[in-house]
Parts: sequence; structure tokens; C-alpha cells
Amino acid sequence: MKRLISGNEATFLGARKAGASFYAGYPITPSNEIMEYAAKYAAGHKDFRFLQMEDEIASAVAIIGGSLAGAKSFTATSGPGFSLMQESVGLAYMMSVPTVFIDVQRVGPSTGMPTYPAQGDILQASHGSHGDYQALVLAPNSVEECYRYAVESFNLAEEAQSPVIFLTDGFVGHLEEVIDPDQIEVSAPAKRLREPLGTGCRHFTGLLADKNGIPRTADSKLYQDWYWSRKKQILTAAEKYKFFEYVPNKKSDTLLISFGISSRLCAELQKDCGYFRPIRLYPILENELKAAAKDYKKIVVVEANDGQYAGEIERVLKREVRRIALLGGEIKLTPILKRLESISVK
Amino acid sequence: MAEAKDLIKQERMPTLWCAGCGIGIIFHQLAGVMAAAGLNSKNATVVSGIGCTGRMAGYFKMDSLHTTHGRALPVAEAIAAYRPDLKVVVASGDGDLTSIGGNHLLHTSRRDANVTVVLVNNEIYGMTGGQSAPTTRPGSITLTTPVGSEANPINIQGIITSNRRHFYARSTVFHVPHLKKCLAEALAWPGFALVDIKSDCPERWGKMNKVKSPAEMILAYKQQFKINPKPVGLLADGEIGIVKRG
Repeated sequence: MKRLISGNEATFLGARKAGASFYAGYPITPSNEIMEYAAKYAAGHKDFRFLQMEDEIASAVAIIGGSLAGAKSFTATSGPGFSLMQESVGLAYMMSVPTVFIDVQRVGPSTGMPTYPAQGDILQASHGSHGDYQALVLAPNSVEECYRYAVESFNLAEEAQSPVIFLTDGFVGHLEEVIDPDQIEVSAPAKRLREPLGTGCRHFTGLLADKNGIPRTADSKLYQDWYWSRKKQILTAAEKYKFFEYVPNKKSDTLLISFGISSRLCAELQKDCGYFRPIRLYPILENELKAAAKDYKKIVVVEANDGQYAGEIERVLKREVRRIALLGGEIKLTPILKRLESISVK
Repeated sequence: MAEAKDLIKQERMPTLWCAGCGIGIIFHQLAGVMAAAGLNSKNATVVSGIGCTGRMAGYFKMDSLHTTHGRALPVAEAIAAYRPDLKVVVASGDGDLTSIGGNHLLHTSRRDANVTVVLVNNEIYGMTGGQSAPTTRPGSITLTTPVGSEANPINIQGIITSNRRHFYARSTVFHVPHLKKCLAEALAWPGFALVDIKSDCPERWGKMNKVKSPAEMILAYKQQFKINPKPVGLLADGEIGIVKRG
């Protein structure tokens, strides 16, 4: 049935649609509603378990335990809590445990502006844990997309046997739009690839280990083999998840690149500029970005942070990328128009 | 009847623990008690944190987890919550469970998660070379307390027994029959049960505190601890036993 649904509710409904059955979390604005839906749902459904943990560190490892125990598992948080979860993102990557971490971003650093939206966790989502790893990050920009891409996040996590970061923000999370989840066609839930605990003699460890789970902490060659094959596994799985939107504008010399809530503003400018919206932020859609960018003289990245993704795009395109930073939770078109004017004057 | 060797990955022997270390005694006794309780790869799992004892999970012949430092408890609680058919045993050290994982100890015990915790308490960080732990007793020499520790040791019994329902047992690697009894009762306890086992670290604690041999350290437990078969209230310092309330 069509009804007003918030982004956070849609995210939870998407998780359910994907077959998620374990949630562990700790309250933090503006992600709380996801946890509340999980608690309420668990109260009426024995096959869904909910744990309110003592902090985000416990929440993040709990979903690793839940996933190995047999449940598609997830948590939701915001910037400061996400920082506390980073160690476990590395553990999930190293142990190949499918998990979904939802980050409903707010203005930071620190407690910052808890009720105001931002996109300041782009680099935290991709490089926040320690060591080298290939992050998987999806960013929806509407309530319908919260639903649709929550499903994809869980499927991607299963296929890649890895943590996936689902990056929304306080605006999208609290935005209410009329959708009918039953009418939205989404991918079928991915199958689980690993038998749950209690079925073997496997050893799951964060240490470098051989195929039998035996630690090999002084074997550089094994690390190198593991590293490249793990990376390949992630990139191969991600191939099927190249989500983006590109609206070319042949009359314009400017390509606007934006994602999440910022892209809702930029979509208004499609008559003046080309419009490219990555939904899969990581792995970066290098080929798609290069193909789109070659038709434009100017590349402008609009995001609610000080150029985090712009820097990534500059690295990929190897050319100058202009930045429009929407800071302090001010998600408005006027500052974008002003900056665009000054760019074209130059 | 199944015995310890049935739950131990023989191909992984010998363990990485130092000669004379108490962890090996505890591992062997735990495997034996688990086997006698009918636990196996189909109905149990072992979760460890990081450190010397953190390596224990990997030696069990069943699915096991070696998590990040301090995080064994929330992982175990999640497994126990989702899989009530599995007996979840946590085996980890004092630094792991009471320092970096101290907050989880407060809350997993408060929530009375259905987890049996085997806390190997050697009063030091062994794996990292011998730094002081929250359990280190005043006067002990460690790498980070070169003139002797001054801080209060953490009161594990106090933490666990502050919960209305609780199971706290204290034993030592000298008192093996008593240790086995504690482990068996803990495994049979419905809900959160913790066994706090005084265990020797001859290589780190022993050498820094001028103990001549592992045997000397273990025999000292005979002098220092007396079994209290029916404690009224809490165990006094120097007493070992079981404090429980259903």
C-alpha cells in the first residue's frame, strides 16, 4: 500500500526484504528510527533477533557474531558511532563476514551538529579501518532508493563475503516520501554462501591464516596471495552492482557530479549541466566516470563535505575537479548556483 | 565417554604457549569438562579475544572464533541470542576481558547472556611482553610498573555478583579437581557464568618478579588459596569457590 515512509523506515524495510534477521545497535541521532523499527519488529517475530548493545564497538562485533551464527546481520549508526565501529569493519573484511553497516551521516567532527545532515563520512566509509582493504559503499538519494539499495547492500555483502557500508544522511533518513514497497521491484535475496556455526571445525580469525584457519603471521607471501585474491573477490562481486545515473547535456561544458542528498539539488540543474550520480561510491565507477567526463570541459563535484569525493574523482580522472562544499547542514540550491556562476566567470 | 582429546585439534599441537604456562592446564581441563558435558562441533562453539589465551579457541575441534581485542563477549552474546541451540563458551585473558573488554563484561553479565566465560587470570599482558593489567596486584613488577604496581586490582567477583542473578567461580591451576568442578557447574548454569582462574605466567610475570620456576608459581597457589566449599556471601581474598544466585 502506498504511504508516507521515511528513509530510515525504508532502509529497515529493505533490510527485511533482503532477509536480514539480526540487528545489534546503539542509539545515535539521526539513525535511531532504524533501531526502533528493528526492536519493534523483533518483539513480534521470533525469527528476528534484536540486541541493544552497550556501545557501537559491541554492536559492530555483535553483527559479525550474528552473521557467522547464520543471520544476515546489520547495524545502523552515525559518524561518531561509525568511527567506533571501524576496527570491526576490518575484522569483517579479514574474516570474510557479510555484514551491513548503515551510516546515517550528520555534521561532524565529533558531536558537531547531530540533527543536521552531512556527507562527511565518505573517506571514513572507504578508508576508516586500518590496513589495506577494498570498501563497498552504496549511497541512495531518496526513500525509494533507501529501500531498493538496502536490499542490494545485503546482496552485495553476501556475494563479496564482506562488510558493506550503506551511506545515507540525516536528510534522506528523515525525509518522508510516498512509496509502496510492495510495488518496488528489487533483486531477490542473495543466498548465504557459508554454513552457520555448529556445522564444522572452522576457525574464524582476524589473523592472517591459511585455508585451514591456522595462523600464519610471518608469511609475507601468503599475505600477498591472500590480499590480491580477496581484492579480486570483492571487485568481481561488485561488477554486478555498478549503480549510477547519468543524464548527458550536450549543450553544456560542465558536468555536475553529486550523490545522496546533494544530488537531489543538482538534479534541478540538468537543463544547464551534465549530471552524473554515482550510487555505488566504492569501488569507484572509474570507467563510467571517465567515459562521462571526457565530453565536458569542467567537472564540478557537489557534496556536503569539503571535497572528500572530489579528491577521489580528481585522482581517477587525473584532471582538475572543481568543488562545491555544502557545509554545516545547509543543503540548499542557492550556494550551488552562486559557486557555479563564479566558476563560469573564471 | 568423550574426553579432552576428542575436542582438541591434535594436528595443531603443540600449542604456542610457553612451557609451564597455566593456560595449557586450563585448556586441557576445559576440553575435558566440555567433552564430558556432551559438547561437540554440532552443539558448541568457542570464542576468544586477543592475547595468549586468545589463541585457545583455535585449538578446539569445533567452529571457533578469534575476534578483536576485548570483543569476545559481544560476539558470543550475539551467537547465543541467535542460536540458543549452541553452547557458547568464551575463553580469554584478564586483560582482554576486564580491561579493553571491561565495558562488555559489565553489560553482557548484566543482560545475563547465555554464555560461559573462562577467564584466564595471570595478572599480566603476556603476549605483548609483560605489561600490567587491571588484575595486577599491588607491588608486582611489570614492564609498565617497574617499581611495582600501585593501582587497585579490578574486583571481578564484585562486578559479576552485582547482578541479581549471577554465577561467579574462582579457582587456580593448582586446584585441578576444584577447577574441573567450577568449569562443569559453569557450563551447566543457565545464563551468564564466569570462572576466574588464577593462572601462572612464568615467562613474563615470573621472571620479572624473581620466581625461580613455573612449579614454584603454581605451588604458591596452594599456599595462597583455600577452598571454601560453601561461601556465605562473597569469597574472601585467598578463598576459591563458587558464588551463585539463581
